[in-house]
Amino acid sequence: MGQVRVITDSTADIPAELRERLNIEVVPLKVHFGTETYKDGVDLSPEAFFDKLASFPSLPTTSQPSPQEFVEVYKRLAAATDAGIVSIHLSSALSGTYQSAVLSASLLEEQADLAVVDSRSASYGIGTLAVAAAEAAQAGKSKEDIVALVEKLRREMRLYFLVDTLEYLQKGGRIGKAAALVGSLLNIKPILSISDEGEVYSVDKVRGHKKAMARIIELLQADFAGTPIHVTVAHANTLASADELSGLLKQHFEVKSMLYTTIGSVIGTHAGPGAVAAFVTPAT
Amino acid sequence: MVEKGARQLRDHVDNVNALNVFPVPDGDTGTNMNLTLTSGVEELRRRPSEHIGKAAEALAKGLLMGARGNSGVILSQLFRGFAKSAADRASIDTVQFAAALQHGVDLAYKAVVKPVEGTILTVSKEAAKHAVQQAKRTTDLAELMGAVRQQGQEALSRTPDLLPVLKQVGVVDAGGQGLLYIYEGFWQALLDGGEEPLYSDPAAGGQTNPLQMPSAVHAHSSAHTSAEPSRAQAKLATEDIEFGYCTEFMVVFNDQGRKAFDEGDFRRELSRFGDSLLVVADEDLVKVHIHAEYPGSVMNHAMQYGALSRIKIENMREQHSHILLEEAAELQGQGQKEEASSVSTSAAQGLKPYGFVAVSAGAGISKIMTSLGVDQVLHGGQTMNPSTEDIVNAVARVQARTVFVLPNNSNIILAAQQAVDLVDGKKLIVIPTKSIPQGIAAVIAYREGASADVNAEAMEQAIGQVQSGLVTYAVRDTQMEGIDIRQGDYLALHNGSMAAAAPDLLTVSQRLIDRLVEDGAEIVTVYAGEEAAEEQTHLLVRYIEETYKEIEVEVHSGGQPLYYYIISAE
Repeated sequence: MGQVRVITDSTADIPAELRERLNIEVVPLKVHFGTETYKDGVDLSPEAFFDKLASFPSLPTTSQPSPQEFVEVYKRLAAATDAGIVSIHLSSALSGTYQSAVLSASLLEEQADLAVVDSRSASYGIGTLAVAAAEAAQAGKSKEDIVALVEKLRREMRLYFLVDTLEYLQKGGRIGKAAALVGSLLNIKPILSISDEGEVYSVDKVRGHKKAMARIIELLQADFAGTPIHVTVAHANTLASADELSGLLKQHFEVKSMLYTTIGSVIGTHAGPGAVAAFVTPAT
Repeated sequence: MVEKGARQLRDHVDNVNALNVFPVPDGDTGTNMNLTLTSGVEELRRRPSEHIGKAAEALAKGLLMGARGNSGVILSQLFRGFAKSAADRASIDTVQFAAALQHGVDLAYKAVVKPVEGTILTVSKEAAKHAVQQAKRTTDLAELMGAVRQQGQEALSRTPDLLPVLKQVGVVDAGGQGLLYIYEGFWQALLDGGEEPLYSDPAAGGQTNPLQMPSAVHAHSSAHTSAEPSRAQAKLATEDIEFGYCTEFMVVFNDQGRKAFDEGDFRRELSRFGDSLLVVADEDLVKVHIHAEYPGSVMNHAMQYGALSRIKIENMREQHSHILLEEAAELQGQGQKEEASSVSTSAAQGLKPYGFVAVSAGAGISKIMTSLGVDQVLHGGQTMNPSTEDIVNAVARVQARTVFVLPNNSNIILAAQQAVDLVDGKKLIVIPTKSIPQGIAAVIAYREGASADVNAEAMEQAIGQVQSGLVTYAVRDTQMEGIDIRQGDYLALHNGSMAAAAPDLLTVSQRLIDRLVEDGAEIVTVYAGEEAAEEQTHLLVRYIEETYKEIEVEVHSGGQPLYYYIISAE
């Protein structure tokens, strides 16, 4: 009997090395610069994307994988394993990706033993779940156990992120409940997160970058004070901010593992350059 | 008789002058009391009555609505108590009159959270106490009022002994002085026995419109260091009027108008020509009121938008009546009516849970507040505090069930609190912000989705986490908190206390910054005033960046008058 296979999409922002080691299948979303279309993370690296974003006169748009693309992947993996497939995707409140995956699953009917999971998260919030699922799969866990584990981890995970400007979230229509903050003339930094419903919302707002970083630490302390933690810091072309955030986290917490990742082109389109995020789970 | 007294009082209300306790140019006590009282008299004129109780009620209602500044609020409470006590009396005897005065004092003390002795409160208290004693000995109201006035005068002269800040500066309390002028007006009216005033003031010819009071206040604060009422007005010279012509007209928009009308632009353009500007516009016309030195230039400018109509120009240097205030009130009334109609049309769209009313100073600060989600920005600040009625009206315009009011000035907090009981159908919560930085910190602390109580608490907490700094200039020589100050010196205030004084703006501003960030700060925000030179601001920012490398600095154009810089550190 084979292992469960884990599928996610490119917005999980899982570093390539980790993805390969854990044998995670990634379905790419697409990013469109005018008439040019790129597959997220496949034919456009994060670095190339942010260079292009800076030089391109208008904002790119993004689109979900088609149901057909999911069908092909599902069929291929179903043929390779008899232990089932767990497919974890970008929040259904932010993208049609999950919808597309669900549709493909129904098209396949009995041809694949498949669980499609709405991560109700984004970026490494999906990545955290997919990586944990793949590790459990390698340990020989069943599809049902993996789905339960993912749900538990999702509840335990905390994520906070900062954006340089709310402009990208607003223009891409992904601003959710943080909309009231747009257009402020002061340099107000909303501390953003993703709600249980999978929507972007503003947890708090403070003046200036430094206070924002400090506030993220405070917020995490409410949940993880005295607990060892696993941390992933994701950044959109802003290594300095990532270093600042990881430094603060190491200073205030017992950090068991610290992973850096870069935000890819689809999440980057909506968060904008300068975005930085912390994804934290308890290390127990 | 009370009405006659009030009228007499109104003729003397220009005598109410302010004594700047603080050497910063914010001596607006006279203006505030004057405008408060004028509102009372207006109401009384609308509802004249021979019935003392009814007349007093009308007066008190008007005062309550027009209350501006702390002294204005206290004044309104004094008369509200009087009116309550006298409510059922068609006429009044000395004992009843004294009791009514005493009731007013009781109410005023209750209205003030922390009553401070050596102020208008003390003057009113001692005067009323004396009245109660004297009322048993005389049945003549004029005699009683004379005694009240006499006792008030004595209490006033003792205010510097009670309030150290007065002694230090060498003045009597401004609010107390104002009240005494009012008592004096009453007394004169009673002496005249209801005839037309016999009392005519030698300086009346030089009296300015009440709206001019701020300049008068400043002009006299230095000279007026003792309680000699007549001296104050002797100096109320016509040359103090900077803009000599009260100019009013309408512009009827037509095809000949060469420019498209934009109310904001129009207001800004006209503000160059003078002060006391009021602009009320609808689709077809705009009504303008302005005090200008060259009314012709104003009208030439306005003609770009259409044809002029109903032109009225008064030489204020000649004039000593108060036509203007009535006109201003009428204009304002008109504005409110228009706004009221827009309120009713949009009421159907439903109310949001929370809204904000904030008092601002300066166009830039107003803009920032609007960008932060403040629904109604009231222009006010130092020389023209919004009245309780202004606040009530602003709250009424906000389409929300709960409205947070940010007074952003210690002198407006009481007027705002008084508005709480006057607002129908909405909950009004006053967040006691004493400065613009506190107000901005409070708005930022607001969280959508949280309850009103949680938000109020978060906002009050935010106030405590911001340091507020102001840079202005001294209007006279004095000594404050051990610092020698010369007229024209630049002054820095830190959370309301003197922080530095020097002849150089940059030095003062730098010392203020040092104080503001003393206990640690992550971000400093500088709101440059309308008189702040760009170069100076640049130097100040460079100082902060070079001295405090870890602090983020933001600069915004605040456009506020009087204050070169408003600075927050948090």
